[in-house]
Amino acid sequence: MTFKNFVKELNGEGVEGELVKTIFISLTTSFFILGVLYMFKLRYIENFIPKYGFYLFFIILSYALILPSLRHVRAYKEFPCMSGMMIGMTIGMIAGFLPGFFMASTNGMFWGSLFGMSTGILFGIWNGKCCGIMGIMEGMMAGFMGGLMGAMTSIMMFNDNLKLAGVVIFVVSAFILSGLNYLIYSESKQLERKHKDGEFFTIFWSLLLTAITIWLSVFGPRSALLQ
Amino acid sequence: MTDEIEVRKSTLYITGIVLLILVGGFFMLKVENSNSSGNLVDAGNGEAQKITLSMKNYNYYPNTVKVEVGKPVRIYLDSSVVGCYRSFTIRDFGIAKYLKTPNDYVEFTPTKKGTYTFACSMGMGTGKLIVE
Repeated sequence: MTFKNFVKELNGEGVEGELVKTIFISLTTSFFILGVLYMFKLRYIENFIPKYGFYLFFIILSYALILPSLRHVRAYKEFPCMSGMMIGMTIGMIAGFLPGFFMASTNGMFWGSLFGMSTGILFGIWNGKCCGIMGIMEGMMAGFMGGLMGAMTSIMMFNDNLKLAGVVIFVVSAFILSGLNYLIYSESKQLERKHKDGEFFTIFWSLLLTAITIWLSVFGPRSALLQ
Repeated sequence: MTDEIEVRKSTLYITGIVLLILVGGFFMLKVENSNSSGNLVDAGNGEAQKITLSMKNYNYYPNTVKVEVGKPVRIYLDSSVVGCYRSFTIRDFGIAKYLKTPNDYVEFTPTKKGTYTFACSMGMGTGKLIVE
């Protein structure tokens, strides 16, 4: 049950073996939809890449990190309360913080907070329900806090290395989510797989999240100071 | 033999992920132009050097201002500057004042050449005052 075993399992046929594949599918789908939209619509927008490229790139990477964890939890469905709360809190917080941070960088604090809170609460509840109402509450609160904090951090960093802060926050979040995947692996090794999501699950959510993010970032409402 | 195939499969996905990140990053990580520019110094009629700062991209604009040493400097914030940005500070000159309206100003006389930082009281909006 060591980390070494976990890494070995990433190459296996079990639930953990699907994690890397899910990242790949999510990235492919997100970049594909971005490429298609860019060809037909976004390239006609002045300064699209310098203005939005960095933030969209990292938000796409963020989704590619969040979705495997979601799939990982869904595979086992039920967890003890302690682990379930940790799962709900971690996913809620990260799924709120990262989208909130990157959305606030282009649309301002209000819309960044709103978007971050929505994704954070959605994924927090969805994952937290693996242990019942305690996990749901934990996920909901963490999503709410993460969304607000991500947007707030972004605005406070606006004149102080915002992009570098984005990279650091993304890397830290990646480590935390890897830790969560290891936690799920440790807690669920004795459990049997109860649910299997097809690749359509990853494709659907990547497509939906990326499309909404692009639309909101580029055409959505924003603070008066960013208009 | 099976192990080797599994490792290759996983390696293939990781290679794909790295490639996607590299290609995506190459196209999407282009640097935006800086918004720093010259200044809006008005030397006036030999009196104070008047500067009016406004707001752009959550920062003072212009955020680099040049003034002459030994002459009084008067800084105004126009109506686009909002919230805590109206609480204007230049620590090196001991200036900290809330400029409630666009007619309010801070005035001081820089007596030493150099580059000084001005900022709002929270440090969220910053800029450089170059005394020449």
